[in-house]
Amino acid sequence: MRVLLVEDDADMAESLKSSLTADDHFVDIAADGEAGEAMALDGGYDVIVLDRMLPKKLGVSVVRELRQQGVSTPVLILSALHDEDHRVEGLDAGANDYLGKPFSTRELLARVRALWHGRDREPQTRLAVGDLEMDLLARTVKRDGKKLDLQPREFRLLEYLMRNAGQTVTRKMLLENVWDYHFDPQTNVIDVHISRLRSKIDRDFPQSLLHTVRGSGYRLEA
Amino acid sequence: MDLKFVPRPPQATGEFRTRRTGFALLRTTTFRLGLVQAGIVLSFVVALLLYVYFATAGQLLQDSDQLADQEYVALERAYAEGGMRRLNQEVVERAARQGPLLYILAEASGAVITGDFRQLPSVPGETAERVDFNFERIDDAGAPLRGRARGRVGRLINGPILLVARDLGDTALIAGRITRTLWTVAIIGLVVSVASGLIAARQASRRAEELAATARAVMGGDLARRAPVRDAGDEFDALAEAMNGMLDRIQQLMHTTRTAGDAIAHDLRSPLTRFRQKLEAALERPPEIVADREALRNAVDEADRLVDMFSAVLRLARVEAAGNWRMERIQASDVLRELVEFYEPVAEEKGQTLSGDVADRLALRGEPGLFTQAVSNLIENAMKYTPEGGRVEVHAHKRADGRIEIAVLDNGPGVPPEERDRVLERFVRLETARSSPGVGLGLSLVSAVARLHRGGLHLRDGISEAGRTGLGAALVLPSLDTEG
Repeated sequence: MRVLLVEDDADMAESLKSSLTADDHFVDIAADGEAGEAMALDGGYDVIVLDRMLPKKLGVSVVRELRQQGVSTPVLILSALHDEDHRVEGLDAGANDYLGKPFSTRELLARVRALWHGRDREPQTRLAVGDLEMDLLARTVKRDGKKLDLQPREFRLLEYLMRNAGQTVTRKMLLENVWDYHFDPQTNVIDVHISRLRSKIDRDFPQSLLHTVRGSGYRLEA
Repeated sequence: MDLKFVPRPPQATGEFRTRRTGFALLRTTTFRLGLVQAGIVLSFVVALLLYVYFATAGQLLQDSDQLADQEYVALERAYAEGGMRRLNQEVVERAARQGPLLYILAEASGAVITGDFRQLPSVPGETAERVDFNFERIDDAGAPLRGRARGRVGRLINGPILLVARDLGDTALIAGRITRTLWTVAIIGLVVSVASGLIAARQASRRAEELAATARAVMGGDLARRAPVRDAGDEFDALAEAMNGMLDRIQQLMHTTRTAGDAIAHDLRSPLTRFRQKLEAALERPPEIVADREALRNAVDEADRLVDMFSAVLRLARVEAAGNWRMERIQASDVLRELVEFYEPVAEEKGQTLSGDVADRLALRGEPGLFTQAVSNLIENAMKYTPEGGRVEVHAHKRADGRIEIAVLDNGPGVPPEERDRVLERFVRLETARSSPGVGLGLSLVSAVARLHRGGLHLRDGISEAGRTGLGAALVLPSLDTEG
């Protein structure tokens, strides 16, 4: 896919570009807010990665302008100030995701893919991965036609994994999207929740759907 | 980190020394006040003296001057009417009379013709003038008589000299004594006020010098030096106590900074060393894709830990600096129940029990992210230090004073009371905790978050059983409802 990277730090931009390129994306770089906005308005990008502190025009202002101009391309804001109020400000302006520096490349790649995957998502009432089915209206989950009994939080966790089926989701993404927690737990709490979920959806079936992606996170895939 | 005081550059010492000798007694404020006080005392005494003098001795002298003047005028008239003969006769008659008045009639040359004395005390010029003289004469009984007289002496027409004076007698003695007494009082007053000014000045400058010496010692690097307090309860004691309090705080802050710096350096050294070793080992052995990738992955993990550590330090710094956080209404009851639910599987995995006893509708005003993180730190901390089979309980209720208390209790080994203040400091990890992972910022962050929310973090005993005290960490925060 085509990624527009708006980042004024040349080293950082080059390093991100090579990581994104290695992950099979085509990357264009803009070095300031105004150039980034002009390139984004020209269109043709699948995902925009935008630094928050930019010369000429702040990242938040760029997103606001793009949304006003009717550009709905998913935007990920990168920020050195990963604090609650800045995050809320960025999301209010119309950004789709927010990642605080320093971040791992794997985290960024996972989020870029998730953004692209989730773009123009139709409202769905049913999700399916292999023989795993979720009915969002009836709040039921079945595997191979057999009903599974999930707690509300397990249901939300599985829903997020199913919506991003085939994509790697990081622990941080799960924390933020399933629990709305924006801190790093010192315990392996996400792994424990995953393993509980796994015991419910995978244990009694020959094929595993919920895979651990070493060093990154998890992926639900048939 | 080693903090050292940079010595003053040589060119600045001159100025420094001048200021040191600035405590010369005569330049002190107290001495100047003493001088002013002495001046006021002296002025008052002089005014009193003048008043007393005029009210007593002055009045007596004025009366006698008037008497002498009247007599002089009467004699002048006698001379004008009867000439020298008549005057001479009058003088002889009046001199013979017993009374306070004394007379002398003399030729133009000054030679005495008749009168009470054989000699003029002074030869007048053209006009009549006031005389004031001491005399010695033989009285009628033949005894020598000393005295002081005051009157008028002048030349009459054609040259004869007439003196009329009043023997001041006791009046002079009284007036003189009063005058002398007043002078004595004035001088004593002056001496006493100057002396008391000097003593007070020396006392004050000694105390001030003690304070200055303490400040100089601290400047010189002796941070433990404190100003002496004399229990006099005076303003110097108040100043010394305030100064000592300030020095304590500075020393504590420096200690914290130093400890934090040392701890960062210490905690960074191990991961950095591991980081380097792993990469170096991978470089030295023959290239082998799988092993090299593994080494790189490990290196990245180490780098992540380093980054986490820095993030934790930065976050703590930002919370401690207060700043403009977006405060909003937080349904604490919901947040706490969700956190218990979030961590419950982890506790179960570790063979522990995590349970919550949370009152309904606890609301407070705060920053949701920080509040959640603070409570999560307490829960994780309790789970970390509680052995397998242990219990962790989260209690939340509104206290009688209207504040919300959120207590996380465990039945682990606990923290000895004397160590409790210390574990809230940055980077402090008790010896027993050294082996487990963590930066030592968890409780510091909770404490800082509590202060940001105008509350506090208190450590006490937890669930005491089986010989262990456990640890209870209580967040006490203002309730939104009681604040209105």
